[in-house]
Amino acid sequence: MKHFLAAAAALSLALLPLAADAHGPTRKKVTESVEINASADKVWAAMGNFQDMGWLPVVEKTEGKGGNEVDATRTLTLKGGGTIDEVLYKFEPEQKSYSYRITTVDVKVLPVTNYSSTLVVVPVDAAHSKVEWRGAFYRGYPNNDPPPELNDDAAVAAVTGVYRAGLDALKAKLEKGS
Amino acid sequence: MARRRTAAHLVPAAAAGAGLLLLAQVWAAPARAEEAFLTNQPANEVAVVDLGPDGASPRLVGRIPVHGSPAGVAVTKDGSTAFVTSPDGKALSVIDAATRRVLARIPVGGGPLGVAVAPRGRPVYVADWYGARLLVVDPDHAGDVRIAPTGASPSGVAVTPDGAVVLTADRDDDTVSVIDAARLERIGVIKVGQRPFGITLSEDGRRAYTANVGSDDVTVIDVATRSVTATVKVGARPYAVALAGDLAFVTNQYAGTVSVFDTTTLAPRATIHVGEYPEGIAASGDGRHVYVANWSDNTLSVIDTAVLRVVATLEVGDGPRAFGAFLRRTAR
Repeated sequence: MKHFLAAAAALSLALLPLAADAHGPTRKKVTESVEINASADKVWAAMGNFQDMGWLPVVEKTEGKGGNEVDATRTLTLKGGGTIDEVLYKFEPEQKSYSYRITTVDVKVLPVTNYSSTLVVVPVDAAHSKVEWRGAFYRGYPNNDPPPELNDDAAVAAVTGVYRAGLDALKAKLEKGS
Repeated sequence: MARRRTAAHLVPAAAAGAGLLLLAQVWAAPARAEEAFLTNQPANEVAVVDLGPDGASPRLVGRIPVHGSPAGVAVTKDGSTAFVTSPDGKALSVIDAATRRVLARIPVGGGPLGVAVAPRGRPVYVADWYGARLLVVDPDHAGDVRIAPTGASPSGVAVTPDGAVVLTADRDDDTVSVIDAARLERIGVIKVGQRPFGITLSEDGRRAYTANVGSDDVTVIDVATRSVTATVKVGARPYAVALAGDLAFVTNQYAGTVSVFDTTTLAPRATIHVGEYPEGIAASGDGRHVYVANWSDNTLSVIDTAVLRVVATLEVGDGPRAFGAFLRRTAR
């Protein structure tokens, strides 16, 4: 999570007012995964609730409504300040997968726009599983010639950092004592 | 983009009596094949896929390096040339479709995204995502780029079959601009749904369809009167529209599906599951298949339009967008 916060702290730009939903022409994708020595059911039980993002270390608290129904919402309050508002658009417990998108985030908190994401648990065998976290998003700066803090590389680095930190923490939590 | 005609030009002109022509078309159909030119944006390449003699046996046959995050593509009606935009490279690449060679890379500035080519092969119309303008490029005179005004963030581009009118979907203005191709003047503005992205004309050029990312619907436009005739609800975050026979096929990015509706009755016909983040979509010349580029899954889905389901899926490389008329006819 250091990467995430460092990237966030580095941003102190006076931003132009942005048109809602405006974005650049090049969507980026990030996929990170982790293998966990635990059954897919156990892993899903630990991270398959849209209303509890507590397994992501940077999250102080999760507040939301609508449970795990499509269109449910949640607000993540981050340690050290900043919030991210998200909405659930797909929930498939039989596939051990859910998909959400960010409805509101300051690019100083996470330098992305039009972000959507999917989490999925894939069983490897009875005692092992793989968690994949996929994101699709545009950089924080919607116009041409972005500043380095809000360019494509910054967006990919920030999202990769969040995913890596979350997946590694999930693995550590579930494998502890096993 | 508008669906292509069947293989009429294979028939010798001398034999083109009406009945004979029809018969010859039936015979000629299996002898033709098409190729897909897919912009693999993060891979900085154009993948070339042979769609097979039946249109449903796709095979990767080439990869053409095109840097600058290629996104938009337009193949000429005669199949000779593919034009590809690179928004990050601020360039239009001219590709010889048969030899797979990049013949030229024309710097156009701005944020080139959507692209369409006039029926006779030139000029090429490039939407400047950042500039609220259409860049008009003659590949033979690359230094001489002309400009026509559009609304904000023009994305999809379509040209009428007579070449007289160019339409742009102006994403951040929720409009379609009607541009006189001869004078390069904006002669009409049509209010559509929210955040129109792809725009597709019917084969006769009388109707246009926009995929509206923000309002999850498709706007149907009567081109002659520049009026909206209908709005059709589709899935989440529609990207582009393809037309095959009486059906419209719409890629829904967030849903991972293609919505199908009847263009006459506007009634929904099917929702077809394809890959994650389906984007570019185009119909074969005979209308029997629709091809979908799945950006997140890195695949091409082949839909059989008779049964309305996916009949083949091919891995094509990282991040295919294929925004535009990406199919090329090839004579066999």
